[in-house]
Amino acid sequence: MATASQIFTMLFATPVIPAALVGLVWGVIGGALPGLSASVTMALILPFTYALDPVSAIVLLASVYIGAEYGGSIPAILIRTPGTNSAAATVIDGYELKRQGRAGEALGVSLWSGVVGSLFGLFTLIAFTEPFSRLALAFTPMSYCALGVLGLSIIASLSGGSLLKSLAAGLVGMMVATVGIDPLSGVNRFTFDLPDLLGGVKPIMAMIGLFAVSELMRQSGGVDLGAQAAAGVRIVFPSWPMMKRLFKPQGIGCGVGLMEGLLPGGGGSVAAFFSYNEAKRWSKHPEEFGKGSVEGVAAPEAANNTVASSSLIPLLSFGIPGSNSAAVLLGGLLIHGLIPGPRLFEQNADVVMGLYVGSFIAILAQIPVGLMILPACMWMVNRPRPVLAAFVFLLVMSGVYSLNGAFFDVALVMGIGFLGWLMAKGGYPFLPAVLGVVLGPMVESNYRRSLLLSGGEHDIFLEDAIAVGFFVAAFFFLAYSLWRERMDARAANLKEA
Amino acid sequence: MKRLVAALSFTALSLAAFVAPGQSGAQAQPAPYPHKVVTLVTHSSPGGGSDIFLREMVKHLGKYIDATFVVDNVSGGSGARAMSKLATSKPDGSIFYAITPTYIYTSLMSKPQHTFRDLQPLAVVFADPEVLYTRADGPYMSVKDVIEHARKARGRFGVANPASLERQAAERLKNAAKVNAAVVSHEGGGDLMINVLNGTLDAGVGEIQELRAQLAGGKVRLLASFTDQRLIDFPDMPTVKEQGFDVVVHKFRGLAGPKGLSPEVIAVWEKALPLLLADPDYKKVYAQESLIVDFRGAAAAGRLVDDFARETESFLKETGVLK
Repeated sequence: MATASQIFTMLFATPVIPAALVGLVWGVIGGALPGLSASVTMALILPFTYALDPVSAIVLLASVYIGAEYGGSIPAILIRTPGTNSAAATVIDGYELKRQGRAGEALGVSLWSGVVGSLFGLFTLIAFTEPFSRLALAFTPMSYCALGVLGLSIIASLSGGSLLKSLAAGLVGMMVATVGIDPLSGVNRFTFDLPDLLGGVKPIMAMIGLFAVSELMRQSGGVDLGAQAAAGVRIVFPSWPMMKRLFKPQGIGCGVGLMEGLLPGGGGSVAAFFSYNEAKRWSKHPEEFGKGSVEGVAAPEAANNTVASSSLIPLLSFGIPGSNSAAVLLGGLLIHGLIPGPRLFEQNADVVMGLYVGSFIAILAQIPVGLMILPACMWMVNRPRPVLAAFVFLLVMSGVYSLNGAFFDVALVMGIGFLGWLMAKGGYPFLPAVLGVVLGPMVESNYRRSLLLSGGEHDIFLEDAIAVGFFVAAFFFLAYSLWRERMDARAANLKEA
Repeated sequence: MKRLVAALSFTALSLAAFVAPGQSGAQAQPAPYPHKVVTLVTHSSPGGGSDIFLREMVKHLGKYIDATFVVDNVSGGSGARAMSKLATSKPDGSIFYAITPTYIYTSLMSKPQHTFRDLQPLAVVFADPEVLYTRADGPYMSVKDVIEHARKARGRFGVANPASLERQAAERLKNAAKVNAAVVSHEGGGDLMINVLNGTLDAGVGEIQELRAQLAGGKVRLLASFTDQRLIDFPDMPTVKEQGFDVVVHKFRGLAGPKGLSPEVIAVWEKALPLLLADPDYKKVYAQESLIVDFRGAAAAGRLVDDFARETESFLKETGVLK
């Protein structure tokens, strides 16, 4: 009873509600702008929290995180540009749906899945912080390496055509990921004495280049410049049968998102890809994936929104952020003199309670805010194609420029875009390349870290139960994909004959 | 009677002397400055170490220098972009850069177009104590335990980043103790902390303020500090040197400007910074962070940076990072 009245006071006597709403709206806008990742969107608003009381400040930041994870899916669906890293998997089926004139449906599914994921994440944060925080500690460099390998094994099942071309694309992605300062020795690799390459090629740059810029190039080369697929501007919120259908992919997204949020370095993008792949594996209609499947939108969107809450578990219990965005939140806590860790729950119970209540409000507000913002977004993408292409180009390039304030990055993304255009012409899929960029560093640095720990002995991987489990899973996934591809090929041959 | 008066007047005088500097600090007019707006650049992103350092400082600095201070986060390239920005600005006192050993490491290892040699240190303000720590429920009670284990088996030390003073401290400890140990670098402090807490690593090297959450929660045990003397807040923690390994590292925090700062500008800062450090409000903030006041003016700061760079360069060559 005391808690209920506490929540009541918090809602009406403190600025928790306005903080949650302002944070959510800003988060959705920032997340929807390409180039502004969730963490940057949060960092931009951080200075404004200095003057706020700690509870409002933390609620504001957490709401921005929730909003940004959702907002990233809007441009992913409408203009094939992931607004944030973790929306990259949403591009695949979301944009395909939009091309079929089903943008309203895709946006509705993504909104609903975002709310489901966020609610699940918040629930685990409130109820299971203790047990899950122990799980986060169980991950060694060996486990991370194996997790990365498991993630890369997805490449085989994402190929959707030639496995060889898919592997080639994955390798290119991993090669791109080696650019920059070596994570273990600190030596420069493939930087050609360019200071702008020291930080490496960020995954978001590879994604924007491959997905958005290459698509713009393709469109401007087409002859149907004037034509525009007729599309409604109404958001189609999922009906009950649709909700039932989405239940499974959302459940997968929530589970994967929970896991990845707990692990520092995993983050939303890895979670989104994993859940996309698993949703495809367990779906009743796997053939729809890649050709406009609502499940292919639901799974990654549920996953990345779950991460927004589950990455707070290691942050609040150990002071260890599970994602870049959680790191900004950590900064926000420290600025207000709050030290995360076990004692935060005892000494600053009001802040923790405020965080829960504020997050809940922000999650609920996602639906009305989404329904208000989306029609405007859809109106914009229904302008004549040349106008839209120019606008998208401007939006994307200014987003890329704003990442580091460097023109070099703009040129880099254009270059990657050209590469993507060539890849599309040659029938090479983009997803393996993006996975390579995201997971390559995780596998490489943790592999080398493990060997450094053991003095060069590979036995160290066998001593780690989690690592062994992941490796075995990766092996079976690969074997299954190869077997299935062979079966499909045989079936196709039979048909031809 | 005379004596009493003398004693009283003496007390009054000394009281006045005692109170006066405080008052003049709090109420005196801020020193005039040639610029209305001064930009303080940091390479850390908002919420990062140097960013918090500057933002806390800026809150109080206006009392001592008559200007508005703006913090500008020029992240990217581990300081390479911030150094370029500074090196191409006018040395008129309108822009400074929050320096830490990172900018020396980046200059030496990444060889960017503009390096620390293109900048002029203005002052050093603090030293961040670096410590060796282990998990609280682990078997190691002292530096000697950690070293003893590394003698018998393969030692495992962790640091947050490859190009860092922490790594230098760990490598030097390993060399001083003549043990076989892996110095494993990570992608930031969070990664490192997990591997210390789950026992993958024997011990980690980090700044004390990064450990506050885990210290407060009783999750980590401090083994020793890499400082010259014991830390005031942790009088029971020995220094690494006391434990028989001559390794002392100096993580400085200060400001640098473009080369060619005028003596007038330097004089304003050299006068204002000690007053700022004595400000009771500001003192509260940095004491909480366990920062050690280590004020040095422009000339001394320049020497410190030069010595540090020389030492680091030879270290990097010894360990094979630089050729």
